[in-house]
Amino acid sequence: MKIVINNKQYPVPKDLEQISLLDFIRDTVQLKGTKFGCGEGLCGACTVHLDGEAVRACQQSVGDVVGHRVLTIEGLADTRPEAKYHPVQEAWIEESVPQCGYCQPGQIMAASALLNHTPNPSDEEIRDEMSGNLCRCGTYPRIQRAIRRASKDRYYETR
Amino acid sequence: MKLDNSKTMNRRQFLIKSGWLAVGVTATASCSPIYSSLPALPSTDGPEWADAITWIQIMPNGKARFYCPRMEMGQGAPLGLSQVVAEELNLDQSDVECLLPDTQQIPRFRMTVGSQSILDFFDPVSRAAANLRENLRAMAAERTHYKPAQIKDAPGGFVLPDGQRKDYTTLVTDKPLLLTETRSIEDGLKIYSKNKNRNRRAIGNPWKHHELEAIVTGQPLYARDKSLPNMLYGQVLRPAVYGSKLINADVRDAKKMPGVTAVVVDKGANFIGVVTEHPSQLNAALDRLKLKWREPKARGQAELNDRLNVMRVRREDKFEHSLVSQGQMRQKPRPTHLSAAGYFETSFAAHAAMEPRAAVVSVKPKSTEVWCGSQDPFFVQRLVAKAIGYASDTVIVYPQRIGGGFGGRVPCQASVEAAILSKAVARPVRVAWDRETEFAHNYFQPRYSHYISASATREGVIDSWQHDFVSSPIITGLVPDNIAWIVDKVVADEGTARGSLLPYQVKNQSVRYSDIRTPIPIGAWRGLGSAPNTFAIESMIDDLAKAAQMDPLVFRLKNLPTTEKRLVKVFNRVAAMAKWGRELPEGVGLGIAGAIYKGESYAAVVAEVSIDATDKNLRVNKVWCAQDCGLIINPDQVENQIAGNIIWGCSLALKEQITFAAGQVEQSNFDDYEILRHNEAPEMEIGLIVSDEKPTGVGETALAPVAPAITNAIFAATGKRVRQLPINLESVFEVSETKG
Ligand code: FES
Ligand code: FES
Repeated sequence: MKIVINNKQYPVPKDLEQISLLDFIRDTVQLKGTKFGCGEGLCGACTVHLDGEAVRACQQSVGDVVGHRVLTIEGLADTRPEAKYHPVQEAWIEESVPQCGYCQPGQIMAASALLNHTPNPSDEEIRDEMSGNLCRCGTYPRIQRAIRRASKDRYYETR
Repeated sequence: MKLDNSKTMNRRQFLIKSGWLAVGVTATASCSPIYSSLPALPSTDGPEWADAITWIQIMPNGKARFYCPRMEMGQGAPLGLSQVVAEELNLDQSDVECLLPDTQQIPRFRMTVGSQSILDFFDPVSRAAANLRENLRAMAAERTHYKPAQIKDAPGGFVLPDGQRKDYTTLVTDKPLLLTETRSIEDGLKIYSKNKNRNRRAIGNPWKHHELEAIVTGQPLYARDKSLPNMLYGQVLRPAVYGSKLINADVRDAKKMPGVTAVVVDKGANFIGVVTEHPSQLNAALDRLKLKWREPKARGQAELNDRLNVMRVRREDKFEHSLVSQGQMRQKPRPTHLSAAGYFETSFAAHAAMEPRAAVVSVKPKSTEVWCGSQDPFFVQRLVAKAIGYASDTVIVYPQRIGGGFGGRVPCQASVEAAILSKAVARPVRVAWDRETEFAHNYFQPRYSHYISASATREGVIDSWQHDFVSSPIITGLVPDNIAWIVDKVVADEGTARGSLLPYQVKNQSVRYSDIRTPIPIGAWRGLGSAPNTFAIESMIDDLAKAAQMDPLVFRLKNLPTTEKRLVKVFNRVAAMAKWGRELPEGVGLGIAGAIYKGESYAAVVAEVSIDATDKNLRVNKVWCAQDCGLIINPDQVENQIAGNIIWGCSLALKEQITFAAGQVEQSNFDDYEILRHNEAPEMEIGLIVSDEKPTGVGETALAPVAPAITNAIFAATGKRVRQLPINLESVFEVSETKG
C-alpha cells in the first residue's frame, strides 16, 4: 500500500495501515507541520487537504486515503510555483496572524481549502467555515483579515 | 482585622528562603508523585546585571546574537526585547539573531510568567546592549585615535569625524565580543530605547516575529515536533482520582504486546509507564496493564463548592486575610444611603492551550538532554535531575517554542516522565500527552466565591464597601503536600487576591479573603485572580450606579480618585470609541468595566451584547478596549495580546467550566470543555494610549474587564444581573422574556 502526500509516494507498512493519517504524517513521514490538538476531530489543528478539500487527519486512517492526494502545510507553497508562498501564507505573514502559532498550520489549510471552493467568501462564510479550527490565543480577528486579504489581493488573480 | 506587618515579613522571608516568592506562577511537585521531601523549586531570582551582559554578543559579521532570557509562547516578549537590542546597537531586525538559550548558554533566569518580561527585562537588556555599544565605540576610538565622543552612531556601527565608516564587523574580528563586568561603562550611559526625542528605529515599530515564516510553513518548532535517532515512545498512566495510590500492578500481559520495550513500575513513587518502538503501540500496551489503585474518599463538586463558599466562611466569621480595613463598617447601611449587595461566583477552569505538552529526553550515563516547552527551563532542569538522581548541572534543557502557556506550562510534567523512562531503557524517549491527559492532569484556575455589600450617597459617592471572598491558593497552589501546611500558615496568596483592591475611592472599606486548599491541583491561569475579582467588583459597581440612578461610566469616573488619571483616561477613551450613551435597539446593551493589572497596566472595556429571548440567542457583537501599558515597544504584538485577552474573556464569560465528580475531572476534550470558537468571536476595536511611562505587562491586562463588561451589557439590556460565570444563558432569557 502506498499513499501520496505532497505529490510524493510513501509506502505504508502493513502494521500501520490502521493508524491515523495524522500519526503517519507526523511520526512516519516526519512532517511536523500538521499538529495534534485533540485527536477527536474537535479542534482542526490537524487539518490537511484531501483532493483539495479540508479534512481532519486525526479522523482518517492511512488506509482511507489510498488513491487520494494528501496536501499538508509543507506542500502548500509548492501549489503556487510562481511565488515563494501560497497567497494564504503570504496574507498570514502580512497580517502577523500567529501568536503561539500552534493552531496556525491547521487554520491556513482550512482557509486555503475555503478559498479553493469559495474564492470570495462573505464574512458569514468565513466565520462558519473556520469555526472548526480552535485558537486558544485568540487570533480569530486576524484570521478573518488575512482571509479577506488573500481573497481580495491575490487569490482571484493567481487562480 | 488589620494587615499584620510582622506576618507579612515572615511570609516574605519564608518565601524567599523557600524559593516560592514569585510574582506570577509557581509549581509543582505534587503534580508528579516522584519527588522526595526537598522539592525542586521554580526559578524566581530577578534579572541581575552580571547575567544581563551574557545575553548579548556581537558576532564577527557585525550582527548581534541575543540569547533571550524569556520564553516564547506567542506573547512575543523575545521579539520586543530584540527590538530593544536593535535600538541600542543601531541594528536592523535582520541583524539581530534572537535565540532561546539552553540551560548551558546563559545563567539561570527567572521563569517567564506574570506578564513581566518587558517590565523586568527592558532595563537590563537595554543597559547591557547600550553598554556593549559604548565598548565598541571605545574600541573604535582606540584604533583610530579619535575620542569616543567624536565617533558618531551609524547603522551597524559608527562613523568617524572624517566620514569614514567603522562598522562593528571591522571591530569584532575573530571571535564574538561579549562584555565582562569589568568593562562596563556606566558613566553617562545613554539608553536610546528610553529617549522619546530620538527618532527610534526599532522601538514602537510593528516588527514581525522572526519565527513567523517558520510557523506559516509548518517548520518543527515545538517540543512535540522533536525527534531523535533511535528514539522510543513512552506514556505514563495516571490515576483518574486525585491522590490515588498504586498498590498493585500486573504488567505481564502488557509486556507481551507488540513493540513494547519496557514497562516501568515504581510503586513507591506511584509511577507506571510504558515504552514502545512506535507511538501507535502505546495504547494497546496500556490497555493490558492490570492496576489496582487505592482511591481516597472522592470529592464531588458539591463538596468543593461548600469548601469554597464565602457564605460559610462569613457565617463562621473566619477570614484568614484582611487586605483592607479602613473607616467604619456598619452592620446595616445608613437609612439615608443607597445600597446593594450580592453574591458572585466563577468556576474552575483549564488552560486548554492548543499544544498538549510533550518532551523528548535522552538520559546518558553522565549527561541528560531535554527538549521541552516550559515557562521555566531551569526548573525543568532541576525537576528532571531530581527524578533521575543526577546533578542539575549534568542536565541540559533545550527550550522549544510553546504552543500556548497562559501559566499552565511552568513545569513540563512530560519531561520528568520521559526522563524516568529514558533512564530505564537507555535510549531517547518522547512522551507526548494527549488532550485527555492535558485536561485531567494539569492544574486549574480555582473557583471563586464572593459576597459584596456596598452603599453610596444619593449623590452617587460610594460610602462603604465590604468585599469578602474565598478561593484557593494559586501562586503557592502546587507546593508539595509536605510543606503546604506551613506555607498556608504564613502565606496570604497574592495571586488569589490579585485584582481585589478597589481602584475607586471609598472611605469605609473592608476586603477580606480566605485561600483554602482542596485536593484539586491549582496553579496560575491567565491573570490569576484578576478576572474573577474584577468580575465581582465591576458588577457591584454597576449595581451601585443603578441604585444611584447614574450612568455607569459617569458613576465610575465620579468615584475614581484623582491619582488614577491613567484609568480615567482609558475609561474616557473606550467610551468615545464605543460611542457610549448612544441609542440602542431593543435587546441590545452596552456594558463597561475597567481594571488595573498589578498596579501598573490599565484597561477599560466596553461590550455590546444582543439578546434574543425568542431564539434564545446571546451574542457579544463587539468589544472595544483602551489600554495604557506605558511605552509600546511593538504595537502589533500589543494589539495581538489584547485581542487574545478579549477572546479569552468572552470564553470565560460564556463557556469555560471544569467540574469534578467522584474526585475526577468531568471534562476531557473540547466537546465538553468548550472554548470560544471563531463564529462566536466578537468584532473588536483596540485603542492604545501613547505613553512614555515605563513599559508594563500586556499579556493579561485586558482580560479582567471583559467578562464584567459583557455581564454589565446584559444588565443594561435586560435588567438581569449575572452572578455566575460562565453565564447561565437560560436564566438570562427567562428574565428578558418577563421583561419584554
Ligand atoms: S487533532 Fe484532529 S481535530 Fe483536533
Ligand atoms: S496561535 Fe496559539 S492557538 Fe492559535
